[in-house]
Amino acid sequence: MNRVRMIQLGALAVLVLLAACATPTPQVVEKTVVVEKPVEKVVEKTVVAERTVVVQPTAVPGRDTLVVALARAPSGIDPADHSSREAETVIRNIYDGLVTRDYTSGVHMELAESVKWLDTKTLEIKLRKGVKFHDGSELKADDVIYTFERVFKTNAIEFPKPHTALRKGFLGPFSSAAKKDDYTVIVNFTAPWPAGMQMLVHTQIVSKAYVTKVGTKGLIEKPMGTGPFKFVSAKTGLEEVALERFADYYGGAPTLAPVGKACVAKAVFRVIPENSTRVAALLAGEVDIITEVPAELVGTLQKVPGVQVKTVPGTRPIWLEFNVTQAPFDNPKVRQALNYAVDKDLIIKKVYNGLAKPLAGPLMPTNNMADPSLKPYAYDKAKALALLKEAGWTPDASGMLMKEGKPFAFVIDTIGSMRPIAEAVATMLRDVGIDASVRVWEYNVVRPKLLARERQAYIGDWGDSAFDPVGHMEAKWHSLVTGSTYGRGNFSGYSNKRVDELIKAGETENDPAKRKTIYYEAQKLIYDEAPAVFLVLPEAIEAASARVQNWQPASDSRENLHDVCLK
Amino acid sequence: MGSLSTAFGSLGIIMKAVKILERVLTTIPIMFGVAIIVFFFIRLTPGDPVDIMLGRSAAATQREIEQLRQQFHLDEPLHVQLGYFLGDALRGNLGYSYIRNKPVIDLLTERLPATIEMTLGALFISLIIALPIGILSAVRQNSLLDRMSMAGAFLGISMPGFWLGIILILFFAVRLQVLPAQGRLSYDVPLQEVTGLYVLDSLLTGNGRALEDSLKHLFLPSLTLGAGVAAIIARVLRSSMLEVLRSDYIKLARAKGASEWGVVMKHALRNALIPTITVVGLQVGVLLGGNMIVETVFSWPGLGRLVVDAIFNRDFPLIQGAVMIYAITFVLTNLVVDILYTYLNPKITL
Repeated sequence: MNRVRMIQLGALAVLVLLAACATPTPQVVEKTVVVEKPVEKVVEKTVVAERTVVVQPTAVPGRDTLVVALARAPSGIDPADHSSREAETVIRNIYDGLVTRDYTSGVHMELAESVKWLDTKTLEIKLRKGVKFHDGSELKADDVIYTFERVFKTNAIEFPKPHTALRKGFLGPFSSAAKKDDYTVIVNFTAPWPAGMQMLVHTQIVSKAYVTKVGTKGLIEKPMGTGPFKFVSAKTGLEEVALERFADYYGGAPTLAPVGKACVAKAVFRVIPENSTRVAALLAGEVDIITEVPAELVGTLQKVPGVQVKTVPGTRPIWLEFNVTQAPFDNPKVRQALNYAVDKDLIIKKVYNGLAKPLAGPLMPTNNMADPSLKPYAYDKAKALALLKEAGWTPDASGMLMKEGKPFAFVIDTIGSMRPIAEAVATMLRDVGIDASVRVWEYNVVRPKLLARERQAYIGDWGDSAFDPVGHMEAKWHSLVTGSTYGRGNFSGYSNKRVDELIKAGETENDPAKRKTIYYEAQKLIYDEAPAVFLVLPEAIEAASARVQNWQPASDSRENLHDVCLK
Repeated sequence: MGSLSTAFGSLGIIMKAVKILERVLTTIPIMFGVAIIVFFFIRLTPGDPVDIMLGRSAAATQREIEQLRQQFHLDEPLHVQLGYFLGDALRGNLGYSYIRNKPVIDLLTERLPATIEMTLGALFISLIIALPIGILSAVRQNSLLDRMSMAGAFLGISMPGFWLGIILILFFAVRLQVLPAQGRLSYDVPLQEVTGLYVLDSLLTGNGRALEDSLKHLFLPSLTLGAGVAAIIARVLRSSMLEVLRSDYIKLARAKGASEWGVVMKHALRNALIPTITVVGLQVGVLLGGNMIVETVFSWPGLGRLVVDAIFNRDFPLIQGAVMIYAITFVLTNLVVDILYTYLNPKITL
């Protein structure tokens, strides 16, 4: 009897375990059939339809919904008040701007029919007629003016507490906007704004009537714009945002095909922070497009049938910046030597799987003002050693570089995501006799230390999504001016009066040819003085299932779902 | 006579309720202790919240920086800041998140149900695995079953959550395609939220599709989180069962001719459960902590990810609020454990 009881108990335990594991088993069939079965149904229905002559399009689950996996939750959903690329990705599918960008750096008219500089500080914007907001009202000049003022004016955002919009910086030297007629806006600036067209891409237009009526709180709860998709719902923390096609969409930028309504009926953005899970979700068919694919997984993904991997030059160049205010990096020869000592091609091959470009100076090669005559410092160990010798560093018996009895040793600070490239650089520097080691920090902790010049060297990146030196040159290579935007990312302590002058001049010069002359000179100076080892520009990598068509990752990380179709 | 015993019975219940209330009240000073420690510890970590906040927008003037400091009282001495914090906390106000522009209490309450659901799921799965294994391996000590299950337990303890999670995803979601890899609910499954616990909400609203979908989503994260805990519980249960099975009253029970089933389940298990329940209670803390990793792997929108994000952004009010939630949960779980003791062994009082 006891034995029987024990067997019963054992059987029960096994059953419970099996039940725990096996509960989903019947769903195995269901899940795999989900894609197949409806197709059969369609066929069946079509046959029936032929007889009864009533064709009922059957909704195929999952077929008309495009699911995009983002790596991070959007930082907001108010076009005036967010600070992340994920936010912009979602927002730009709901809202259109006056101008937009193609998949690289070209600017195209979107809500604006034309944009014209009347003089260096006055912009005339003519609006496309007949553009509808999602609530059916027409886009007019008042909406554009209201949008600009909401972004620029101090404390214009009233919810949850009055504050200034995070996007203020994207309106440059904005001063005021006035209505000429219902479809013409005149915008005044306090200074010339040569980067204006690239920067305006990042301001999306809201409806004055709607925001005045529902307030910022209402706008966040139910966003409403002129974009190809209408907002449907969002989950806590914007972990999931669901959109549906806007039937009255005017078609988007006429110069960017395809023009017309969005191809897919529904689109969902879902946040999947872990890289491996994002890839797994794509392979499992749960999502259709994934962003931020790690370079090391590209090879594997490319071999998977039914998966397409695409890359586009990114906008986050990486440097090894030296603290030029301290020895040994106060000597330009040492800095140049280290540029020759790092083999960028090997880094690109080994760390980035070939998916990166070498940098030739402070600007990424895709920046509209990058000097094409500058070539990346070539890997040349002998030259590096010769320059170091000129600076007084000579190898001892073991090959370590010494000066006045002291070894050449320093710490490369970096952040977690840059660790692989930092380790690679340190290894290459050890190869020429420099005792370089890596220390990983949290960015927010190391940043103030770098600006206070307390550290020796730092490997990091800086976004350049406007493809213009503005937003970049003044941040990284202008002398630090506390309390201003100048030098806010200048971690090397680099300071050159001429470069500062040039950066300021470039900000207000409207003639593109003259701007190029200005920026080329600045780039050459920085290239020669080498406050950093100009490392690489990694490519942005995304992947999608084969059923996703007409999809292309964008340099500025935007997911333009308007163009995408599902097979 | 009957009414007298009823009166005694209800007196006993009242006494117990008073004891429980007493215990609940003693948690208040504990909470204050936790709050003060957390308050100082997060301020000791390097990184300035205002600097981090403004680092995200392109331009910030010195005046804007000072304004923000004033707004958050960060310009005042620490003891004054602590005063504000404790004063607000006493009134049930946990403050305002620096980064997310929302009251902390709202942020916590909208995320808490997801974390509770996963923790309960993990606890449930770990008990389902651990109880039979623990009992059987004690009863069949040194048998093949015992050795195998204990080896399994070692494996369960040693496997880090992020690794096990990804392996499970690759196997069940990618290879077999029977379970989802991420999230709490499929995007096309509608569900009316009542409590925020999706499984419960599906039951309450009679939504069969959501029930099936939410259970599917819950399974892998719960298994990942529960595996290590199951291993620990199984080992503790086994060793306490072994000890109890050797005691005199078990011999007596056997001598009286009680069935082996009765001896094991009624006499031995009940007593062996006391140390086991202690461990289960302590493991709730581990589960809450482990959530952070498992929530990231399965993109589970719970408290753990919110807290990690808050720590990186030095969002002081949010960190403080979250830690207090963790502490309350931990203290209350231990209270529940203590109450359970009194049921398992009437000799123990609160």
